[in-house]
Amino acid sequence: MKIGAMLGDILRSLFKKPATELYPFVKNPAPEDLRGALQYDPSKCTGCQLCIKDCPANAIELVTVDKVNKRFVMRYYPDRCVYCAQCVQNCRFKCLAMSDEQWELATTKREAFVVHYGKDEDVEFLLEKAANAGVEEPCIQE
Amino acid sequence: MEKQDSNGKFIVPIGPQHPALKEPGHFEFAVEGEIVTGAAVRLGYVHRGIEKGAEARNWTQNIYLLERVCGICSHIHATAYTLGVEKLANVVAPPRAQAIRTLVAELERIHSHLLWLGVAAHEGGFDTLFMFSWRDRETVMDLLEMITGNRVHYSTNILGGVKIDLDDEKITAIRKGLDFLEERTHHYLKVINTDETFLGRTRDVGTMSRQQAEELGAVGPTARASGVPRDLRVEAPYAGYHEFPVRLITATEGDLHARFVVRMNECLDCYRVIREILDRLPGGELATRVPRRIPEGETISRVEAPRGELVYFIKSTGGDKPDRIKVRTPSLCNWGTVTSVAVGHKLADMPMLLAGIDPCFSCNDRMVRVNRPDQSQTWSWENLRQYGIEYYR
Ligand code: SF4
Ligand code: SF4
Repeated sequence: MKIGAMLGDILRSLFKKPATELYPFVKNPAPEDLRGALQYDPSKCTGCQLCIKDCPANAIELVTVDKVNKRFVMRYYPDRCVYCAQCVQNCRFKCLAMSDEQWELATTKREAFVVHYGKDEDVEFLLEKAANAGVEEPCIQE
Repeated sequence: MEKQDSNGKFIVPIGPQHPALKEPGHFEFAVEGEIVTGAAVRLGYVHRGIEKGAEARNWTQNIYLLERVCGICSHIHATAYTLGVEKLANVVAPPRAQAIRTLVAELERIHSHLLWLGVAAHEGGFDTLFMFSWRDRETVMDLLEMITGNRVHYSTNILGGVKIDLDDEKITAIRKGLDFLEERTHHYLKVINTDETFLGRTRDVGTMSRQQAEELGAVGPTARASGVPRDLRVEAPYAGYHEFPVRLITATEGDLHARFVVRMNECLDCYRVIREILDRLPGGELATRVPRRIPEGETISRVEAPRGELVYFIKSTGGDKPDRIKVRTPSLCNWGTVTSVAVGHKLADMPMLLAGIDPCFSCNDRMVRVNRPDQSQTWSWENLRQYGIEYYR
């Protein structure tokens, strides 16, 4: 029986560095397998949509620009995403991955929450089309 | 904040905001002076319609929905669900997957128990213990983040296995973390056993006899602290617990102090089991194939969550979505122990008594609507959502 059983801890910690991280001044690297923002590689995508089928948050859509030549654009909503990596698991062609660098995703701008992945000319083509009001977009959803 | 009821009893309402813990729940304690003479609980402030939501999602999407039933024991919910679905589909996950599931479950138990140690100490006014135990808890959180990719929702399970693997580098890091945690847990055990001021708040407070615990249907460490030998990992081993058995840890005193001791000893046993898993990690596949449509049938899946027995009832009609999922979380079973044990204690002991069962409010709120045959009605997810929006408008 004693009083102040943790006095030793307190005294010792007086001479130690703070246990908390100095974020945002010092940014420690995230672990390699961190599930950060989704990444998409259009070159291997076959448009099978398996990734979309099991996404629990409806956070991804695949827009077909040219089905025959396998030109697809993936629209990704980082705000809806729950970062579960089920889409990465589902893709048989290894097009998807989750970043360990992009994890500071908070922002005050809405636009940042719609991300288009794909070949530059395809994304451009799509955005132009979207700007052209009234034009039907060749979008396949579930 | 007080109200006088018709019997002339003085009732102190606590909650729904911050009733000791940072979750909503409402308690009414009838007092005579400082002494509590009656207690009542009212729950249901955080009902989220998860069971109904599960009916609108496919089998895979539900893993992630159900994982979010609880933010502390998320992995165990997904495990209970996947084990149940695998049973229905008649597949068994490969041994390596089972071992990894068990490993993450035990790491989660450590994080949950250390979190509780801090919360309970804080309720008892011992903030030094709170700060230090939470500092050390970061070690296990970092380990979980390293191996699964997220601090809270590990998303380790998929139907038929797991999606993460361990390599030598990770195994070494886990061992290193465990060594540190083991040393700290021994230290905390010493603190809770020797610190006089703390013992004054825990010893002989909230004592529950074994008979009481059995009658009230207590589960988990709360029951085990009263000497009830009840641990599903021992009684009905699932996942990797056949391969890697755990020790049943009980105490006889049944007071708050015994609950501290049981939980800390459980942490020590977790370290032992995890080391054993790392030593003898089975090789082979990480997952087997599970069909998109699960054969018709119903099943009960039971696992030992950090707070006690967690039960899932799963019913399939052969489609790609479940027909019904019922979740019974351990906190719900333990509420009865708080209300009956509270009588005769000082009002000031109530926060610690509440914290003593390690309650999780959000995860135990369910709604049951009993329909008479003549007024039966079916609501779709969309109806229910609209109803919710209208209700809170
Ligand atoms: S990580 Fe999960 S929520 Fe996010 S896009 Fe992939 S499947 Fe959907
Ligand atoms: S699963 Fe892979 S290949 Fe199929 S649509 Fe998605 S990203 Fe493309």
